[in-house]
Amino acid sequence: MTTPDPVTLSVLDNRFRAIVEEMGEAMLRTTYSQILNSSRDFSIALCDAQARLVAQADHIPVHVGAMPYAVQAVRDAFGETVREGDVYLLNDPYHGGSHLPDLTAIVPVFCQGRLVFWSVVRAHHTDIGGATHGGYNPGATEIWQEGLRIPPILLGRDRTPREDLVRMIATNTRLPREVRGDLMAMIGAAHLGERRLLTVLAKHGAEGTVAAVDAILALSEAHARRIVAGWADGEWLGEAFLDDDGFGGTDIAIRARVTKRGDSLTVDLSESDPQTPGFVNSSYPNMASAVRMAFAFLLDPEVAKNDGCFRPVDIVAKEGTVVWAREGAPVTMCTSHCSNEIVEAVVKALANACPERAMGGWGRRFRVAIKGRDARRPDRPFVWHLFHARPGGGGSSKGDGWSTAGEWHSAGGLKFGSVEMAEARFPLFFAKHEFRPGSAGDGTYRGGLGGELELRLETDGPAVANTAGDGVRYGAAGMLGGRDGAPHHYTLNRADGTSRDLRTKEVGIPLAPGDVLHVRAGGGGGWGPPDKRDPAARARDAAEGLL
Amino acid sequence: MSSFRIGVDVGGTFTDVVCVAADGTTTLAKSSSTPADQSEGVVNGLGVLAERLGLTLPDLLARTERIVHGTTVATNALLERKGARVAMLTTEGHRDVIEMREGLKPERYDLRLPAAPALVPRRLRLPVRERIRPDGRVEVALDRTSLDAAIATLKAEQVEAVAICFLHSWRDDAHERAAAEAVRAALPGVFVTTSAEVLPQIKEFERFSTACVNAYVGPVVSRYLARLRGRLADAGFGGPVFVILSHGGVAPVEEAARLAAGTALSGPAGGVAAGVALAQRGLGDDLITFDVGGTSTDIALVQGGEAALGRGRTVAGERIALESLDIVTLGAGGGSIGHVGAGGTLQVGPRSAGAVPGPVAYGQGGTEPAVTDANLVLGYLDPDNFLGGARKLDRDGARAAFERLGASLGLDALAAAEGVHRLANVRMADGIRVATVRRGVDPRDFTLLSFGGAAGLHASAVARELGMRRVAVPVFAAGLSAWGMLHTDLRYEMARSELGTGGVPDDATLRGIWAGLEQEGRARVATWFGGEVETKRAADMRYGEQVFEIAVPLEEVDWQASGLARRVTEAFHGRHESLFTYALRGEEVVLVNARLAVIGRLPPMPARDAASGGAAAGPFAHRRARLAGAEAELPVYDFAALAPGQQVAGPAIIESDTTTVLLLPGDVARMDGRGWLVVVLPEET
Repeated sequence: MTTPDPVTLSVLDNRFRAIVEEMGEAMLRTTYSQILNSSRDFSIALCDAQARLVAQADHIPVHVGAMPYAVQAVRDAFGETVREGDVYLLNDPYHGGSHLPDLTAIVPVFCQGRLVFWSVVRAHHTDIGGATHGGYNPGATEIWQEGLRIPPILLGRDRTPREDLVRMIATNTRLPREVRGDLMAMIGAAHLGERRLLTVLAKHGAEGTVAAVDAILALSEAHARRIVAGWADGEWLGEAFLDDDGFGGTDIAIRARVTKRGDSLTVDLSESDPQTPGFVNSSYPNMASAVRMAFAFLLDPEVAKNDGCFRPVDIVAKEGTVVWAREGAPVTMCTSHCSNEIVEAVVKALANACPERAMGGWGRRFRVAIKGRDARRPDRPFVWHLFHARPGGGGSSKGDGWSTAGEWHSAGGLKFGSVEMAEARFPLFFAKHEFRPGSAGDGTYRGGLGGELELRLETDGPAVANTAGDGVRYGAAGMLGGRDGAPHHYTLNRADGTSRDLRTKEVGIPLAPGDVLHVRAGGGGGWGPPDKRDPAARARDAAEGLL
Repeated sequence: MSSFRIGVDVGGTFTDVVCVAADGTTTLAKSSSTPADQSEGVVNGLGVLAERLGLTLPDLLARTERIVHGTTVATNALLERKGARVAMLTTEGHRDVIEMREGLKPERYDLRLPAAPALVPRRLRLPVRERIRPDGRVEVALDRTSLDAAIATLKAEQVEAVAICFLHSWRDDAHERAAAEAVRAALPGVFVTTSAEVLPQIKEFERFSTACVNAYVGPVVSRYLARLRGRLADAGFGGPVFVILSHGGVAPVEEAARLAAGTALSGPAGGVAAGVALAQRGLGDDLITFDVGGTSTDIALVQGGEAALGRGRTVAGERIALESLDIVTLGAGGGSIGHVGAGGTLQVGPRSAGAVPGPVAYGQGGTEPAVTDANLVLGYLDPDNFLGGARKLDRDGARAAFERLGASLGLDALAAAEGVHRLANVRMADGIRVATVRRGVDPRDFTLLSFGGAAGLHASAVARELGMRRVAVPVFAAGLSAWGMLHTDLRYEMARSELGTGGVPDDATLRGIWAGLEQEGRARVATWFGGEVETKRAADMRYGEQVFEIAVPLEEVDWQASGLARRVTEAFHGRHESLFTYALRGEEVVLVNARLAVIGRLPPMPARDAASGGAAAGPFAHRRARLAGAEAELPVYDFAALAPGQQVAGPAIIESDTTTVLLLPGDVARMDGRGWLVVVLPEET
């Protein structure tokens, strides 16, 4: 094997990262739906012929390390028949996907007849059919109620998707125009990646490029191992809990038994509770991705996220548990829950090995969608999704957590919209949208605060709400003596004077004009014992009205 | 008799002063910047300039018609967190808008990054009971009791500036104005700004953040500009002083002090203005400005002869949503350090040697090799003739640094230096590629306009990486920003949110909206000067279901013809199609912001006619250099001696006092009599 010179290595490493960034920019410019071009809920990856992750754009942490499973699923399904110009697609969580709303487009890259790379684009689609709008169906007891399943398929040859297949997929969703537009944007971005890689291959040759990839992955592995080697050896159990599964099961445990020896780790999740009837189960790729996300958070941020950096971690899990459901179980919630609990359990266990690197828990996700009518636009109903009043981020050895920065799986990457714009566009009145004092988990460094929202409904007649999420009983975990953040607390204060708490998995809640949704989002977990907190910081928090 | 116009660009290390005389003669002077009070360095630079012209400073200033200034005072105040003590009055129930930052945090994988403090601490974000609805209805009248309580706190806290930020003031700013009046009456001398006055646009985070930045830097910028005026007056200057703003136009100092947040990009704006001016002089309509400085590289697009504008600007982590030049800054420049990263690969930047200690070759204590050191070791720079001989470079020291760097990678010094040079090229090229794709353009159709001291050594290689065929290097590459400021017009940017409940308003309403803007804008610019004024209309629009608007230029729309609403709507569809490859002509279209740029045309600058002929100058020396792994003997030409029309074939080096250009094999450079060198690259092989 040729050994690449160190300069070529750096040049190629830069090129790969620039290519995924450029593909991401192309996605932002060409996708139809707001969840993609504003919230950036998509990811880009380059994998090598063996489905190893070579480079990934930093968009959504929960996709980190999940994409190679999609490539592997295509390899398993199509093997030797893969040709230049093929376009593959999948979303099935039981065949390379994470959950149904995430479609993955995959394009092989050939150099002189030899398959060298895969260009991969994954994006969250606004709708994927199934029983409820948008794919989150807390009532689902099997995956078929969650939407359209797409195992790895050959969507087209000669870089042209088959129109009949695209129409079939679009037809199975409530928003065929958006889904089609977004799908085309994904394929366009994947082809852009292919074109750029072909230029690299023309310049450096397949042989030279492959050698450089091997070396880049090896360097990244060595980097990660050097960091891990500095952590304490031992075996620890980290535990995190889901409130419930929506079907009466409560306190669902995710258990991570982590063994650290030298420069390697084993994360064993097989003691986790059995799979549940509801949609909080995880698919295998999503579980593996959550473990890698937790590991990536504990490394230095500049470690390249590729196959090499994840090699120090062995993942063990048992099929039939909540972290790895058997084929057929519903899993749509899994990119939030139980992803977040998997991350939290792993970080909890490893907080013993690398306390300075651990961080307090980040928030849990509790979605609300409201559907109703606006007297100003009587022609069609509106659907509004709650992204405001986000939970807080965790504290760490470096300082207090970020307030209203969100959940483990988005980590400050998901933008909420303008209150003014929401009021102008929807029959909603935001009486209050501020930090929620007292929500942060106390600690040497406290968590960030969650948000508080008082939202008054001004719909034309009755409306209806759905919820999906978790975290009204368990708050974001405190770490190393830090306290847990306050859990979520959502109440519905009705115009008729009655009031009740909202549950995290409800379908069809009737609403009336004048009803107020009072959201009190959870705070981030604290880091380190509260009695070690700098009194000046505590005094500042008091002066700032945060306690 | 007035005959000079002077541009002054204050950089991190040098203050550049460029003077254009009535006959078009251009003179450049440099002085050291004086960060504690930039105006000192400005006056020093003017002194150096006077000397060069053989005049006394009072003589020079007496004959100077106007001075245009680019300043980094606001930027530095933000970066160093040395702005005013600011408080905010805000709608009760919404005091955390600026600290929530729309839920976003930088650095996706750095969860240990400590939370960034807001520009205004929470205890100084004072709630006032009031509420206006998006349709202008008053939900809660302005409550005097809570306003008085807030004012009492302002007094007790001895704040220097106040930003008044109420929800929906884009629709009606009566409450903001009433509160501002009360604050001004109670606290005379305090800098007061309202969000609607700074940015009368819907979306509270952008408006509030911009207003808070304005209040934070306002007092600092006002004081600085007053000092500058004082020094210039003392030195004998009585003419107008203009400041170049973030949008690339200029405004009088009073306006720059009022809208201080609009000076945040004043520093790099001059280079982009220069690109526009050169395009007008025949360099070509489509340019990528490539300004390589010590720590960073600024990139911007000039398309169709105009600079691209944007509104998503963040400076030092703070959002400024004013219309501003769309400049992308990369952390790679002449001072960027080559090192082996924690991951074990060779890297360039983002760490920089800065001005102090500077590259190893400066001999000021730097030990890690920078890009400039690589260019020296490779033979591209002349150790005895850097900056016209003003600074001797230590080639042996630089070489030793590369020996150390190379040792850890198994490379010799030259190979390590070449690696750093190549990697810098790749990083710059990738930055341009992403910046152009983000804006939907193909860099291959553009000319790379190379300026700033260090760009000329990288431009040809960067252009090659991008498949670009043409590079231009102005004669005044090193002082181009100061030159550019002199060639831009007065500009006042206006925006109003005009969000109705339905689609695009009818013809009469549209005409009424822009007539109002036009009247107000022309009245303001009339207070600045008495010359010719023109206006440019634009709108921010979106499809009904979208959240984000796109900017739609309306200059091509016939404003008098019937069916105006239909024409405006079609302009949006067309723009959407060109940006995103598709339009949805059946969908509802919403107009969000009406925009008007009011432009006061300054008299055109004199330019020397394109000279031609003259004797071609041969190389004045030959230098050993390393190119693509091999030693080569390169001819060295004097930039100033090149005759108009003269061609130089690469590989070669072209040097001036302030910049050096490296031509690669196959390049053909042609001196243009209008003041620039055009390098044509060979066809891709």
